[in-house]
Amino acid sequence: MSEYIVEMRHITKRFPGIVANDDISIGIKKGEIFAFLGENGAGKSTLMSMLFGMYEPDEGEILVRGEKVKLSSSNEAAALNIGMVHQHFKLVDNYTIAENIILGIEPIKKIGGFIPYVDCKGAQEKIRELSKAYGLEVDPCQIVETVNVSIQQRVEILKMLYREAEILIFDEPTAVLTPQEIQYLLDIMEELRNKGKTIILITHKLEEIKRIADRCAILRRGKLVKVLNVNETTTQEMANLMVGREVVFEQEKSPANFGEVLLEVEDLTVRNEDKFDVVKNVNFSIRRGEIFAIAGVSGNGQIEIADAIAGLIKPQKGAIKLKGKDITDESIRRRTEDGMSYIPEDRQRLGVILDFSLEDNLAIKRYYREPFSQKGILKREGFQKFAEELIDRYDIRSGQGAKTTTRSMSGGNQQKAIVAREISLESDLMIFVQPTRGLDIGAIENIQKHILRERDKGKAVLLISLELDEVMSLADTIGVIYNGELQKISPAEELTTNQVGEYMMGVKS
Amino acid sequence: MNAKKERVPGNGLGGRIINALDDDRLSQFAIPVVSIILTILAAAALLLVLGKNPATAMTGFLRGSGFMMKPIYGGGQSMLTDFLSFLGILAPMLLAALGIIIGMKSGMFNIGMAGQMLAAGFIATVFVGYSGLNAYLAKPLVILLGILTGGLIGAIIGFLKYRFNIHEVVSSIMFNYIISYIVAFFINTYYKDIITRSSRVCSAASRLSITGVTWGTSKLTLPLGIILALAGVFLVKFLLDRTVVGFEMKAVGLNRDCAKYAGVNVGKSIILAMALSGVFGGLAGVTYYVGYFNSIVPKELASLGYDSIAVALLGNISPIGAIFSSILITIFQKGSIYMSSTVGVPKEIASVITGILLLFSACGTYMRYLARRQRERLADKAKKEGVQ
Ligand SMILES: Nc1ncnc2c1ncn2[C@@H]1O[C@H](COP(=O)(O)OP(=O)(O)O)[C@@H](O)[C@H]1O
Ligand SMILES: [Mg+2]
Repeated sequence: MSEYIVEMRHITKRFPGIVANDDISIGIKKGEIFAFLGENGAGKSTLMSMLFGMYEPDEGEILVRGEKVKLSSSNEAAALNIGMVHQHFKLVDNYTIAENIILGIEPIKKIGGFIPYVDCKGAQEKIRELSKAYGLEVDPCQIVETVNVSIQQRVEILKMLYREAEILIFDEPTAVLTPQEIQYLLDIMEELRNKGKTIILITHKLEEIKRIADRCAILRRGKLVKVLNVNETTTQEMANLMVGREVVFEQEKSPANFGEVLLEVEDLTVRNEDKFDVVKNVNFSIRRGEIFAIAGVSGNGQIEIADAIAGLIKPQKGAIKLKGKDITDESIRRRTEDGMSYIPEDRQRLGVILDFSLEDNLAIKRYYREPFSQKGILKREGFQKFAEELIDRYDIRSGQGAKTTTRSMSGGNQQKAIVAREISLESDLMIFVQPTRGLDIGAIENIQKHILRERDKGKAVLLISLELDEVMSLADTIGVIYNGELQKISPAEELTTNQVGEYMMGVKS
Repeated sequence: MNAKKERVPGNGLGGRIINALDDDRLSQFAIPVVSIILTILAAAALLLVLGKNPATAMTGFLRGSGFMMKPIYGGGQSMLTDFLSFLGILAPMLLAALGIIIGMKSGMFNIGMAGQMLAAGFIATVFVGYSGLNAYLAKPLVILLGILTGGLIGAIIGFLKYRFNIHEVVSSIMFNYIISYIVAFFINTYYKDIITRSSRVCSAASRLSITGVTWGTSKLTLPLGIILALAGVFLVKFLLDRTVVGFEMKAVGLNRDCAKYAGVNVGKSIILAMALSGVFGGLAGVTYYVGYFNSIVPKELASLGYDSIAVALLGNISPIGAIFSSILITIFQKGSIYMSSTVGVPKEIASVITGILLLFSACGTYMRYLARRQRERLADKAKKEGVQ
């Protein structure tokens, strides 16, 4: 038998207009954590989807436990004890956790020996055991849509374990998690490895690889660049290989040059559907040339502040002024025209229309104006020309250029498209919520550079980020939010990372 | 560079069909065609079970719709009469389907087509059909009233959805009942024809058709609605593909949250889309009640209003597609009477066939999947044989 539990030989996979995987050969050993590192769109998900039977390779072969296999559905992969947690979860929202886990392989018992029914009790018992054994705490009776993403992910992991998976594929599992949840997940993965499972981790976060992976394969634009032993390399080396050039981790920042006050938020209070104040009497202002960052743990009201400024929700009380004009009651479109860009947190729900083409999405805030239309009639050439410009300038990668359906683009490239669209509005106020979430370092570097450039051009930037590093390296002024209240507003250089962290937790005030 | 799909080796008919079904461009035509063929086979099997000759039945549909000669014609009748009559009923079918398409593209299901048709037909009949206006005034007025009535009802449904979050399916079904009862009340009280028990026939001047034309020995009725319907196809296509309003409607239909975020006035777009959908319902109504039938049976909603949903779906929710699917479904519906009288099966078989047709076309994705599987299997086999 070969030393590898999984071997992929000369795999090539093409999609319309793109070679997603180009002659990739790779071997994964039993009981290791093997990482795939690569930029968005490098072909990581595609490669692993083939191991999971979602696509079949155009060329090449796959060996599992030394035997050549042909995987034409995920059921066949599951039969070989391969499991996968996808980038976007595949759960039935209105089913319970237990029902989701047993879906497709329901344990059937028979009443009186002939009337079949699903043995939910037994399943719940088994799920409880599994959760205990691996430290994956869940309540099997809860409905999936009522639990947060971190728990949904646990459900996905339990789903694999319930199917007795030995080879576990995680596709960017940490993209949607908070730092604490990431910690927890990485611990679980180590635990799984210690229990003899083989783990394949797809990510573009170098620290995660450094922390838990044994070996790491680097993909770039569909090609395998190198396989590295993680303890023999540095983050810098991995980063450079992944991007294909020298990567700068810290952005160069020129000294601030503040102009007049552009945005004023006065006594802003936002009430959610449960009649609960999620934002309480928040006051702040942003000047031209300033990056004002709101730091905080997720769910403390920062998104609601952004939504209220952008006009997506009505504030309970308070005023919002842009360039001295009260815009509290203005329509969303008027705000855009007054000079406001907004990169929302939930890019797939709010930021783009997945079934629109890339060019339509890039023009979605301006389609009604020249050069996109004239007297109510669309001018398609205008869409295309504009899209090609942005695709070029922001390196948005997609199979068929401007006409690509947005749904088929990788999440990172969707995000790049949103950022490109919003920056191209040339608004005076730019609201960025988690602008780099889910992006690889190359793209992060690029977007952060753009944010700084906008600031240097005299734009006011409101940055809302859960990544403390990002806040610290970009912000001129930091406001820390906790429980809907701005605890502290202070020039960035007067705060240390630790202090911000303490304000975020509400331990300091 | 483009991904080349492996062609199935050999160029047999089977191979071609499989390739077409799984081709990104061809599949949208290949799937309906295959569905139709499968439907005809299934219908043939059904007729055989009933002990009838499928070929006579199929040609019966075509004969009844004026696509083939009947063996005998009554006085003043000919294949052309039948065909023009076919076009007369095709027009409301196509118009109603366009209304459904506008709704669906905007994310709404206008199941109230039949009610909107009835209301428009009734208003036009009462205000113009029973007036003594001459044709040059009456016909445009009928069209105008159709547009206004349908549009108004659609707008109300849209408004209820936007303002009070009442689902359009619920409100439009309510409207169907309300309209049906109100119209029945007025017809029974004021406009009933004692003999037929329907409403009195509307004046020839008001009808969206030209009657009494003779050609050779046959008496013809020229349907004007079909012109309206074909113009509607291109209008809707233009609206959806090329206008700012259409762009907004599609955005709202696909992702309301993003549309709102992008600054689209979602409420306005919803109301407008439902109003436009209603406009086409209204036009379908006037061509149906003031042009084809010329009177209204109280308390009866046109089943055509529901069949138009099938037409829209079968035509892949595209205006051009609807031309073909409406022709097809109308052949079955229109030809069913002649078919049933010559073959001796109940005419409801036409509805069964329409149902089967929809069933098969709903399986389009599955067909594509099967085709892909089969192709890969054949390609693998070919590779193996090549190696040996
Ligand atoms: N189903 C698909 N159809 C067309 N193109 C696809 C499809 N899936 C992925 N791609 C393209 O293939 C490339 C690789 O994608 P992916 O494997 O998702 O990248 P990664 O996971 O490394 O971010 C991307 O350019 C993506 O747009
Ligand atoms: Mg991916």
